[in-house]
Amino acid sequence: MNDPQATGPAPPEALCALIDRAFDHRGYVTLSRRDGVKLVGFVYDRGPDHVELFDEAARCRIRLAVDQITGVEFTGEDSAAKAQQIWERRKGALEPPDTAVWGEWGEPERGGRGDRRAARGPRPVLILVALPAELRSVAGVLGARPGGGGARGRLGAIGAVALAVGVGGGAAQAVAAERPGLVISCGFAGALDPSLAPGDLVLASSVHDEAGESIAASEPVLCAARRALDCGDPACLAEGELLCMTEVVATAEAKRALVRPGRLAVDLESAPAAHAARRAGVAWLALRVVLDPLDADLPAFAQAARSSYLAPALRHVLRGPRAAVELAELARRARIASRSLARALDRLGPVIGGLANAEPAP
Amino acid sequence: MGIPLSQMFTVARYVLKQHIAGRARYPLVLMLEPLFRCNLACTGCGKIQYPTALLKKHLSVDDCLAASDECGAPVVSVAGGEPLLHPQIAEIVGGLIARGRFIYLCTNALLLEDRLDEFEPDPHLSFSVHMDGPRAEHDLSVCRAGVYDKAVAAIRSAVHRGFRVTTNTTLFDGANPDRMRRFFDDMMALGIEGMMVSPGYSYRKAPDQDHFLRREQSHRLFSRLLESPSRRWRFNQSPLFLQFLMGKRAFDCTPWGNPTYNIFGWQRPCYLLQDGYARTFRELMDQTEWSRYGHASGNPRCRDCMVHCGFEPSAINASFGSLRGMGETALALVKERR
Repeated sequence: MNDPQATGPAPPEALCALIDRAFDHRGYVTLSRRDGVKLVGFVYDRGPDHVELFDEAARCRIRLAVDQITGVEFTGEDSAAKAQQIWERRKGALEPPDTAVWGEWGEPERGGRGDRRAARGPRPVLILVALPAELRSVAGVLGARPGGGGARGRLGAIGAVALAVGVGGGAAQAVAAERPGLVISCGFAGALDPSLAPGDLVLASSVHDEAGESIAASEPVLCAARRALDCGDPACLAEGELLCMTEVVATAEAKRALVRPGRLAVDLESAPAAHAARRAGVAWLALRVVLDPLDADLPAFAQAARSSYLAPALRHVLRGPRAAVELAELARRARIASRSLARALDRLGPVIGGLANAEPAP
Repeated sequence: MGIPLSQMFTVARYVLKQHIAGRARYPLVLMLEPLFRCNLACTGCGKIQYPTALLKKHLSVDDCLAASDECGAPVVSVAGGEPLLHPQIAEIVGGLIARGRFIYLCTNALLLEDRLDEFEPDPHLSFSVHMDGPRAEHDLSVCRAGVYDKAVAAIRSAVHRGFRVTTNTTLFDGANPDRMRRFFDDMMALGIEGMMVSPGYSYRKAPDQDHFLRREQSHRLFSRLLESPSRRWRFNQSPLFLQFLMGKRAFDCTPWGNPTYNIFGWQRPCYLLQDGYARTFRELMDQTEWSRYGHASGNPRCRDCMVHCGFEPSAINASFGSLRGMGETALALVKERR
């Protein structure tokens, strides 16, 4: 049942009252998030600064910061009110004695039941990175040696293939060849949020490309990833929009021009990966690690997309001491980012079985 | 008192250890709700009104055992929803028994005979059958004809096969003390180990909002019901709690005594109120504002509550908290046995 009075952006006090009401409501609500995504679920907990809900399928827990919520709609029937109405209608009239003892639930198949997806066996996870340096970080987590632009191993209990597809492309071909159950686009990104530092993780709730198209991530996949990643690691985990460009955004000034509310980082690869996964009907996840903070410029040699940065870096260092310092700083950030990415993938391992073959976002 | 000596000894040893360790707050009974779905829709129940996807969800065996490990309470009350709708309920019970827990498997008994083969009689397992009164009252309370007879048949069957069986009776406004006394006689005649009795909690989400007992009404009802009890009656409850129900003792609630775990997490603050959820048992114990609950807090939702999940732990604390408490409990037990 829609409640039009509860729709639309609400002032803070009104929003708090709506959240309290949503918490008391024994039905689904729709929460509007600052980045435009609408989340449907059952709110079972709320605090001064957060709300927790189960998604509509009751498979996934979602934790939302209150300051990310812009509206609450009561879009689901209140089960308690319905039970009270039914009871009022039939007060005193009993169900017949031959009513099924399993109720409306039916007798379960004890010992488990398989579904078609399980019978097929899990398809592999495809991890797409751009650069060989990123591939090396990922290959270590998979317990594999990189070779020929790729690495094959296991992530958790699932087979995984990591491919370095270059900057900006190659995702569609990789998805068609590997037929994965889940596509993970990961690697370095530039921060568009001033609070993000090198090594901080960005989980994309949506990817926005240069053409203005936005693709939302599958909420169950996102939710499971969030739970796995948000576990006390020193690196900060942020969730929000990822901007995907076709050229490197190298200067602080250029990055600041792209800053929008809810937009966290910019990269070159996530949108092609998300598009390819969507076309193949599989779920995707974009996990980036911050290399350069918002106010940092990349050295000049890194301002163009390349398959290898080794030779340009060597040439750059020959320019003088200042260039050498720049390079050392970039190398330091890259080390932090690589380690953070490897740790993040490691933490995704235990939940990856549940993510592979999940339903993609509509 | 209907509680076996081995269980009394385990609980007494646990409580004394907590007192010696100087723990002000400790759990006594874990209220484990592995699912919310039920095959009945009782008038006074506010536990099962959720969207279907949540009702179809249940805790895994590992979830249940991990919750018991985390909590550490010696007694686990498996409630719900109807626990016998859980496909792995026997595994859950087996795992809890292996951990040395005493289990009360709360059931309406509609599926008890069907699933009895999945369990083995064990001193650590008791089926706690929901029986709200004589046939007419019980069937009215559960909104279905024939449930009393099915439950009685299941109790007979379980007792015959050597299981521990207790009954759990919730009373509402309008209960007839004389009929309830005869009902207690009938239950004991079935060969059950003991009975549990409590006034219903006034769930805001329950269908019937008109028959919850006020505190004074509870005192009057339980005084008439429990004054001069039959010698055959055995209660699976602290004698001090029964005196509390009769208005002869004053306790405040011990909401942390029966912590509740279900598909949402650790429920704050107690089995009956839902003010949110903690992710861990430690978080529940350490970060709940306990002073907001109980009679003394003035919380209107606690005003009329006299339910055993909050006040049994208070009675147990009173029993073990002082020599006087121990003496009074021993005296009450002797009186009950005479």
